[in-house]
Amino acid sequence: MIRAYHRPRTLEEALELLARPDARPLGGGTILNQQRQADFEVVDLQALGLNKIHKAGEKLEIGATVTLQALLESPHAPEALRAALKLEAPLNLRNTGTVAGALVSCDGRSPFAAVMLALDAKMTVISKQSLVISLGDLLPLRDEQLRGKLITQIEIPLNAKLAFEYVARTPADRPILCAALAQWTSGRTRLVVGGWGSSPAVAMDGRDATGLEPAARNAAHDAADEFASAEYRREVAVVLAKRCLEALMM
Amino acid sequence: MNLTLQINGISCELETTPSETLLSAVRRLGFHSVKFGDEHGLTGADTVLLDGRPVNAAVMLAAQAEGHQIATLEAIGEHPEQGWKQTAGLHPLQQAFIEIGAIQCGYCTPAQILAAKALLDRNPNPTEAEVREAISGVLCRCTGYVKPVQAVLKAAAVMRGETVFSGQSSVFSEQAAGRSETEELPETPVDEGGTLTQTRTMPKMVVAPQTDGWQVVGKPEAKVDAVKLAQGKPAFAADFVPYGDNKKRGLLYAKVLRSPHAHARIKRIDASKAKALPGVAAVLTWQDIPRVVYSTAGQSDPIPGPLDTFSLDNKVRFVGDRVAFVAAETPEIAEAALRLIEVEYEPLPAVLDKEEAMKPGAPVIHDEPEYVPFAVCDPQRNLAAEIRIDIGDVEKGFAEADEIFEGVYEVPKVQQAHIEPHVALTYWDEDDRLVIRTSTQVPFHVRRQLAPVLGLPVKRIRVIKPRIGGGFGGKQEVLMEDVPAHLTIATGRPVLYEYTREEEFTAARSRHPMKIWLKTGVKRDGTMTANEMRVLSDTGAYGCHALTVTGNTGHKAMALYVGDGEYRKSPNIRFYADIVYTNTPPAGAYRGYGVPQGFWAVERHMEKIARALGLDPLEFRLKNALRPGEFHPFSTAWNEGREPRPEIIHTVGLEECVRQGKAAIGWDEKFGNEAWHASVSRVPVSSVPVSSAPVSRDTGQRDTGKRKGIGVALVMQGTAIPYLDMGGAWIKMNDDGSFNLQVGATDLGTGSDTVLAQMAAEVLGVPVEDILVYSSDTDFTPFDKGAYASSTTYISGAAVVKAAQQCAERIKIRAAKMLNSQADKSTGTQGTGTQVKAEEIRLANRMAIAPDGRSVSLTEIALDALHRNEQEQIMGAASHVSPSSPPPFAAQFAEVTVDTETGQVTVDKLVMAVDGGVIVNPLTASGQIEGGMTQALGYAVCEEMTWDETGRIRQRDFDRYHIFRADEMPELGVIFVETYEPTHPFGVKAVAEIPMDGVAPAVGNAVLDAVGVNVDDNPVTPEKVWRGLRASR
Repeated sequence: MIRAYHRPRTLEEALELLARPDARPLGGGTILNQQRQADFEVVDLQALGLNKIHKAGEKLEIGATVTLQALLESPHAPEALRAALKLEAPLNLRNTGTVAGALVSCDGRSPFAAVMLALDAKMTVISKQSLVISLGDLLPLRDEQLRGKLITQIEIPLNAKLAFEYVARTPADRPILCAALAQWTSGRTRLVVGGWGSSPAVAMDGRDATGLEPAARNAAHDAADEFASAEYRREVAVVLAKRCLEALMM
Repeated sequence: MNLTLQINGISCELETTPSETLLSAVRRLGFHSVKFGDEHGLTGADTVLLDGRPVNAAVMLAAQAEGHQIATLEAIGEHPEQGWKQTAGLHPLQQAFIEIGAIQCGYCTPAQILAAKALLDRNPNPTEAEVREAISGVLCRCTGYVKPVQAVLKAAAVMRGETVFSGQSSVFSEQAAGRSETEELPETPVDEGGTLTQTRTMPKMVVAPQTDGWQVVGKPEAKVDAVKLAQGKPAFAADFVPYGDNKKRGLLYAKVLRSPHAHARIKRIDASKAKALPGVAAVLTWQDIPRVVYSTAGQSDPIPGPLDTFSLDNKVRFVGDRVAFVAAETPEIAEAALRLIEVEYEPLPAVLDKEEAMKPGAPVIHDEPEYVPFAVCDPQRNLAAEIRIDIGDVEKGFAEADEIFEGVYEVPKVQQAHIEPHVALTYWDEDDRLVIRTSTQVPFHVRRQLAPVLGLPVKRIRVIKPRIGGGFGGKQEVLMEDVPAHLTIATGRPVLYEYTREEEFTAARSRHPMKIWLKTGVKRDGTMTANEMRVLSDTGAYGCHALTVTGNTGHKAMALYVGDGEYRKSPNIRFYADIVYTNTPPAGAYRGYGVPQGFWAVERHMEKIARALGLDPLEFRLKNALRPGEFHPFSTAWNEGREPRPEIIHTVGLEECVRQGKAAIGWDEKFGNEAWHASVSRVPVSSVPVSSAPVSRDTGQRDTGKRKGIGVALVMQGTAIPYLDMGGAWIKMNDDGSFNLQVGATDLGTGSDTVLAQMAAEVLGVPVEDILVYSSDTDFTPFDKGAYASSTTYISGAAVVKAAQQCAERIKIRAAKMLNSQADKSTGTQGTGTQVKAEEIRLANRMAIAPDGRSVSLTEIALDALHRNEQEQIMGAASHVSPSSPPPFAAQFAEVTVDTETGQVTVDKLVMAVDGGVIVNPLTASGQIEGGMTQALGYAVCEEMTWDETGRIRQRDFDRYHIFRADEMPELGVIFVETYEPTHPFGVKAVAEIPMDGVAPAVGNAVLDAVGVNVDDNPVTPEKVWRGLRASR
């Protein structure tokens, strides 16, 4: 049960509150507010001004409390990112759920996290000092790394091409399997495969696309759950990765 | 903590807690249009506008909303006529939802209208795709979204000041002039072509000639409850809260502690800590209440199934079974109390696989001595019911066949997923009678079946059925009303118990999963010589509906194909079924009631046979299908555990359904046409959607790896249970010539109140607005068995017609007297004026009209009867039971695209041509078909409940259990092929359940058509298709 609600006006105030035992940052609350068993306080971030999207050269700086729908509607959002956002949650939840909240609470079925991982998104995390950490480094130990801290911004490159492919039971269902592929002008190629487990998996991050297919297959080597077998995901991940690459080559 | 919320432009002060959700807060403040659908925001029933955008109030804290502008439906429009007070009337969105027929149960309507308003406020000229996107956050299980989308488009046009084609009035006038043989409105532009102002909300109809001249029946009347539902009025079970916050008489909230074990004995249970928690009013365990065995299946007496359930027991039989009840001042306190109940379980071996249930040595799930068997059942072998039906000489039929085809098919457990959960409110009234206000399909069964469980006589229980937010069979169950009732008895206070969405998935009812074996004998010319089905059906932990659901699997699905020639005269059919207990959540009634399971197998099987023999799949089916004048083959052998009585099928519109459906889906141009099948395998890159493949600047073509396919299924259902289902109706005439119609029939969002009113209005010669319908209340309405078995229009409707005819007869007698008296006055001598006989008078346009044109108004007749001469209350009371159960028939078509590399199936179009007899209301009936097809589409491709190795259901929310949203629907086509069923006064049969039957096999057959893969267990998921493709390479 949520035993206290705070709405700080400054980052300092927010950090002070988040230092309290059992205090948790509240973005849109679409995930956190469902947790009825635990006993905790919430620190609502809505008054901190973290809801801005800013294009800075070849980068897009996304405030932590930007809603999923606001990002989807941003003229700077790549098409493939928009496609993934549409699959992330229904419209009403996208109107409330925040980008930082969606990423830190994601599981492997999150298309948004898959795309952001492919783009090698960088999170600005503040406590007594500010720290920039990649989403890929953050997710495995997210609870420990974020305790008492606050994500203020997420940054993605705009100079990387991005493709996203998925398989689902219906057009708007969350994917059984998805692949997101980002490729920089340098040739750097980063493939993420998702659809199961605790978070999408970075299948490869190479200088070019060499080894894309085995990387896709390997990433899904133990990817069995109630929606699909690992064998299916291994083989079809290759199909999706190839389709992503074809899309980027066009 | 104290908050100030800005709701609908008004500052609302609120004392709250940090954990209170915005949903709870706005409902406490009286904004009942905001509904609970789930605890995750995925249904969207909890939609409010926050600063103009739709958001989910159930997952937002009230405190989060402070400082924002909140809007609910209460701020938008009101009834246009409120006595002397002038109002602005309804909002164009509300008006359009009413006129277009976009409201069925109405539970999600406030959310849909709000979401649409948010769109139109920003974009007054949206495309259909934009409308679908705008309402995609609101799940609807009733409509299939066709009419809500069209309503929004119409409202947008109205708000722009455009002249709007009115689907309703135009069709009405066309029909009023005489229902043409074939009526069809202009085709809707597909999409992306700008705004639609020519809404297509009416189905295509092939009308029965007998309906010519009818004034009300057959017309697309607005639903009688639509105005209140469009306003989000507090019409549902949870919207009525008695006695405020008074601590002695105020409302308590119930919660149920549920078993973590699939099978266990409760060795010790201690509720003392829970009882000591401040705010807890009562905790009940099995030790506290009488041990009364009963069945939760809402059915007529005697229940055709075992009595094997207790309100609380010292044994639990599935993960989610009941352990204890709590009533507390708030839901949060009740939840906290659950965690304080100490339970020591003795885990027992569990049976989770239906194929293990009857093996020697399997754990016995029902070992209680109170168990009451019904017909053939054996709890020692986990056998809840057994069916053995042999018609004709099946072995001889097989021996005479040229080919024998065998196959094994499986169907999964699926959820009804009504958006309003199970919810009941109980309280003692001033006469110490227990009132149960509940969201049920079976109010009279609730009263009768709960009386012994609660230790009350039937006469001391009153069950009120308010508006229902969808049921689909899930509420043909006395599932949970006993929980608040026991707690009201324990505390003396009103208690509200509302299922969470997780409870709906883990502790409600579901469709029976089955394994089905089929064996069919066929001659080379396609004549079927014998057909055999064997079923293993899983009823879960309790035997509610075990016998009857599975009986229908054979009774309907195995009745459609009787063979041809000599075999048609004497069909050879075998249907054997074992219905077994397992330690899984119980199955029960779900729209279709066993028949969708059967037709998945039969129609996949028929397709394989036709292809194997090189026969046209439709000609093969029609060659062997039932025809008018033939006996229902099962009527000679089975009647839901009662004595069978032979029954002739009078009306079969199947051939015309096939003809119409083929034309609508373009069967002849597509079936067997390789060019069409390959038409999506290569496309210009510019036409590839972003979500499936990003756009290229290249101008060449891209290999998509996709192929198209087309499939069909023919199906039949039933209409009520013959010699059993009974409904009653009362009608009385008021001073102004209006009528009160009181029925026990249970409108659960289907529109049955409306079609019953239409039938009464037709008989009484008044518009529907003069019929005031009330349903249902065990104190104030006559008995009706409830809403199931597609029975209301046919059974309850016939009762209404009889009651209306009684009124009409009295009206005509009085009218004749009044007209004759007037004639005498004109001549000055009694009996010398032009005399008219009562039987010559007809009722129309609120008048009683003599053949010579003289007339007297119904108002004058009412005033004369109630106040002036030989006073009497003009009224009618009747009931109806039928010896017939005339089957509706349908041809269901599906068009799909299959991705040959991933196995993903996209359903592009569904068409259903249905013979449901005469259609009383094309708007509500087509809404039923569209909604049913959409549910069935989920059964085809995505809906499935599975459990882990401990028996815990994996799908406990609408994320993992996906149901179709507005923005992903295929095109839906509905065609009504009317036949005139002679056993009903208006020629009706039914439409409610049959749309569930044929979509899944049609999709399965379309996948076969596309890529040659047979998927024999639905749903047709990408991996199953992919495996089939791999195996065939």
